[in-house]
Amino acid sequence: MNMLLLSLILALGIYALLSRDLLHSVIALSAISMLSALLFTILRAPDVAITEAAVGAGVSTVIFVWAIRHTQRRDKEES
Amino acid sequence: MKKLELIKIVITVLLCALLVVPIILSNHSWPTQARDYLFDNARSDTGATNTVSAIYLGYRAMDTLGETLVLLVSVTGTMAILVKLGKEHSDEEATSFSLAPEKRPTNRLRTHLLETVASKLGPIVLLFGFYVMLYGHISPGGGFQGGVIVASAIVFLALGTEVKSKLTNTLVLSRIEALSFLVLILASISGVFFESGFFGNPIKSASSLSANFIILLNIIIGLKVGTSIAVMCIAMMGGSHDH
Amino acid sequence: MIIERILIALLFLSGFTAIVGMRNIIRKVFGLNLLNAAVVLLFILEGSRIGNQAPILDEGITTMVDPIPQALMLTAIVIGVCVTALSLALAVRLYRATGSLDIQVITERLQREH
Repeated sequence: MNMLLLSLILALGIYALLSRDLLHSVIALSAISMLSALLFTILRAPDVAITEAAVGAGVSTVIFVWAIRHTQRRDKEES
Repeated sequence: MKKLELIKIVITVLLCALLVVPIILSNHSWPTQARDYLFDNARSDTGATNTVSAIYLGYRAMDTLGETLVLLVSVTGTMAILVKLGKEHSDEEATSFSLAPEKRPTNRLRTHLLETVASKLGPIVLLFGFYVMLYGHISPGGGFQGGVIVASAIVFLALGTEVKSKLTNTLVLSRIEALSFLVLILASISGVFFESGFFGNPIKSASSLSANFIILLNIIIGLKVGTSIAVMCIAMMGGSHDH
Repeated sequence: MIIERILIALLFLSGFTAIVGMRNIIRKVFGLNLLNAAVVLLFILEGSRIGNQAPILDEGITTMVDPIPQALMLTAIVIGVCVTALSLALAVRLYRATGSLDIQVITERLQREH
C-alpha cells in the first residue's frame, strides 16, 4: 500500500515538471499533497496529515494560481 | 553551447546523488529511548495527552517561537511586494474578481454558484477551525492546524457576497495579528517572573485543568497564523482596498 | 522497506534536477516544493518503524510511534509554504520588470539596463 502511494506521488511529480500548461502542474502538486496526507494517516501521524492537507491543498494552491494568473499560463520555450 | 549546459547539469545531479542517496538508503536501527521517556513522563510534565503538542509547546517551545517569527517576516515581505504591484498596474482584468457585482465588466470568473456556496460554507468551516484549535491537547490538531483552517474560512467569506462582515476587512485582521504576537511574547517572558524559566508554565497549580498553558498558547498561535495567512490571501485576490 | 526508500530518493533527485536544469522560474519553485515533500515523507516513514499506534496517550496503548520526527516536520511544512509564497512574489515582480519568465532572458535584459 505504501509502495503504491509512493509510486503515484513520483509519477505525478514527474508529470508536474514536464507538462506544457502550468495550471496542470499546479493541480498535480495539489494532488501530491492529498496523497501525502493519506500516506501520513496510514503511517500513524495524524497531526502531520491535518497540517499537510490544510496547507497543501488550501494555501499553497491559492498562491500558485495567483502567480500564474499574473504571469503566463503556457510555457513558451523548451525546458 | 547546449551540450555544455547538459554536461554541467548531469555532473551536478550526479554529485548530489553521490552525497545524498547513501543517507536515504541506510538501514540503521531507530533508537527508542526518546519514545519510552515521553510515554512515561509527557502527561505529568505538561498535562497534555497529545504527545506531539507536548513536544512543540512544552519541551521545545523555542522552535515554535522561531517558526512564528519566520511566518511573520515572510507574510510582511509578500504584502510589501503585492501592494507595490497593485499600485503600478491597476488594470481592470486583474481586480475585477473583487469588485461589487454591478460594477464588474464580466461575470465569467465569479459566478452566482460560487458566491452562494462559498458564503454558506464559510461559517461552518470557521466553527470547525476553532474546534480543532481548542481541542489540540487531547486529540490531533492544535494551533497551526486550526489557524490554517480559520484562514481558509475567511477566504470563503471573502468570496461570497451574502453578508459584508468585519472579518474580511484587512485593517481589522492585521490589528488582531499584531495583538496576538504581542501576547505571545508576553506569555513567553512571564515564565521568568514566576520562577519557571523562559517559556515555563507560570500558572502551574492555579486551577484543576492541568493543561491550561498549552490551551492558551494554542489559541494565541492559532489566531496569529490564521489572520496573517488570511490577510495575504485577501490581498492576492485584490480585495484590500480599505487598508 | 528498501523499495520505498528508493522511490523517495528518486523524488528528491527529480526535485533537485528541476531546480538546476529547468529554465522557467516557476518550475524551479515546483522543484523546491517536491524537495520539501520528499524530506517530510522520509522522516515520517523512518519514525513509524518502531511502533504501531498513533502517539496519543489514551487508555491501553502500549507501543506508540516515535513522536519527535512528527513535531519537527510540522515546523518544516509551515516554513516550506512561507518560502514558496515569498519566492513566487519575487517571480511576479521580475516578470513585471523584464517581461519574461526565462532565467537567461531575464539575466540578459537586466544586464542591458545597467
